[in-house]
Amino acid sequence: MPDIVDIAVSAEGFSTLVTAVKAANLVDTLKSPGPFTVFAPTDAAFAKLPPGTITTLVQNIPQLTRILCYHVVPGRLKKADLAKYQSVGSVEGSPIDLTIEGDVFEVNNATVIQADIEADNGIIHVIDTVILMRPHWFWPIMNSALAASARG
Amino acid sequence: MTTTLTTRKLPPSTHPFADVVHRLEAGGSMLPDTPENLMQIIGLYKAYAVPMDFYWRDLLYIAEQVFVDPLPFFKFIIPEEYLKLANHYAGDNADLRIWRGQATAHPELLEFMEKGELKRKLPRILHHLWHDRINMEFAEECMRAMLWHRDMGGLLDPYMDSEEYKQNADRAIRAYCQGNPLLMGLYKLFPDMFLELCRQATMYSVLGLFWEVMAPVFFEISDLYDEGKITSVPEAMNFLVNGIFAIAGRPIYHRVRIRGEWYDIVPKSKGFTWLYEAAFPYVEAVFYRTSPFRGTKSYNAQANEVPTNQLDFHYGILYADKFPVGTAGIPPTLLHQDMYHFLPQYLVEYYRKHCRGEEDMLIQLGVSFQRSMYNVTSAVIQAGRAAFLYPLDDPNPRHLMMNRRYFEGQLNRFTRPEYGIREAARLAYIQDQNYR
Repeated sequence: MPDIVDIAVSAEGFSTLVTAVKAANLVDTLKSPGPFTVFAPTDAAFAKLPPGTITTLVQNIPQLTRILCYHVVPGRLKKADLAKYQSVGSVEGSPIDLTIEGDVFEVNNATVIQADIEADNGIIHVIDTVILMRPHWFWPIMNSALAASARG
Repeated sequence: MTTTLTTRKLPPSTHPFADVVHRLEAGGSMLPDTPENLMQIIGLYKAYAVPMDFYWRDLLYIAEQVFVDPLPFFKFIIPEEYLKLANHYAGDNADLRIWRGQATAHPELLEFMEKGELKRKLPRILHHLWHDRINMEFAEECMRAMLWHRDMGGLLDPYMDSEEYKQNADRAIRAYCQGNPLLMGLYKLFPDMFLELCRQATMYSVLGLFWEVMAPVFFEISDLYDEGKITSVPEAMNFLVNGIFAIAGRPIYHRVRIRGEWYDIVPKSKGFTWLYEAAFPYVEAVFYRTSPFRGTKSYNAQANEVPTNQLDFHYGILYADKFPVGTAGIPPTLLHQDMYHFLPQYLVEYYRKHCRGEEDMLIQLGVSFQRSMYNVTSAVIQAGRAAFLYPLDDPNPRHLMMNRRYFEGQLNRFTRPEYGIREAARLAYIQDQNYR
């Protein structure tokens, strides 16, 4: 069976991801036995980033590597496995939030447009948006309640 | 278009700042879109950018060369090499050119450093002692706020407590003290104090690298306004949002030069970035929290006037009461004084027509500065929304509802009754053009 990198290289629509993985010297890692679960953004996902973002990242490989590592989770996790969790820890270290209910399969603010692609050394889920680490204050802001006295 | 889409898909917000929520959902700023607001905030970005061009250069000088000097008497006397240091985001050889101007120190800054308010060419030390200079005290207050509050997200904060950081610091401090038995003795007696000085130097570097980006962003936004290419508050905000994204991945690091050799304290290879390790913590520490200033208002900690939890600190620009704050010799006043020297003519004319004209220009520009920083905070909120959540015209109502939760959550910070936070917040004030 082909590995994660072979699949990304042979499939259409992942040329930006493949270029980034090569620039970050992650090819050998993603060809290793792993296993890994990779959330793979399409070229269209990268194209949604504002101008300059990619230029800066390509100029700074450790920073690019960090963003790419946020798209990788240790283990072989299919949609059914991920459905047991609200979040999973990425190789970068920050958690990735999961929303999996019926047809909905989302990771952070990205939608999985193709799930459970099997590779020799892991699983690929194709996503429509590049995901970025949510800082620890993100959920406290989202869940903050308005003080009762502030209403009306 | 976006407004129509959002309002059709979601019921109106019931938040006390519902108007602001709806404006943010329509791609706007917390600051209302009026030509008067636009003129004020752009004028202040320009007036801020010139001293900021000094701040980032001197901050890097202190981080890289003054380092852990226990008696840094001359840290504000910036060497020529740092005035000539090329900004990475301006000039012909920029990594990514944001400002079309030059990479070295701004001409208005150099002219002011030479002649000062006195308009006389005197030795720099005399200008300094006469306080006729760029005031680094404000920059240091921001640095201290970032150092003291800590744990505001990002990986740098835990890294500064790691063994690796301590070893890097130790190597550099030993090299710095080499050949100075007194200093080396002090280090052996008080190693933790020197380590803390090193952490402070790291924060000098972080803030310097942060502002190195913001100065060209503000210069460019001002030039675009002068050319008629920025015509609304949301356009100004979106320029900042795009700038934030373009530079998000810039490395944040700290290195020290000792006798010509560079020592890494926080290496670039750690992967720390401008957005996570500098920009977000900066906004939290400086715009929201900072610390109670010495000024005409006294805070009584025993009477529970100062929050016990640092999360609840609310002494930043978004809460600042410009009148009493503007009357004491404290850092924000020094910043106002710095910006006063570089106001565009159109703002000077504008301030002459309002309030007490020349007499209270520092306060008037302080309020304009507050408006401009509400706009920067809006840019950071919108950048966070774009990075972590959904487009404003997302067709999925559930996604739009998440965006709304995020916007309302951000605005909740200005409505809390504890410690008078609600009364201190200036969000309601800046909705009114007559607040000046």
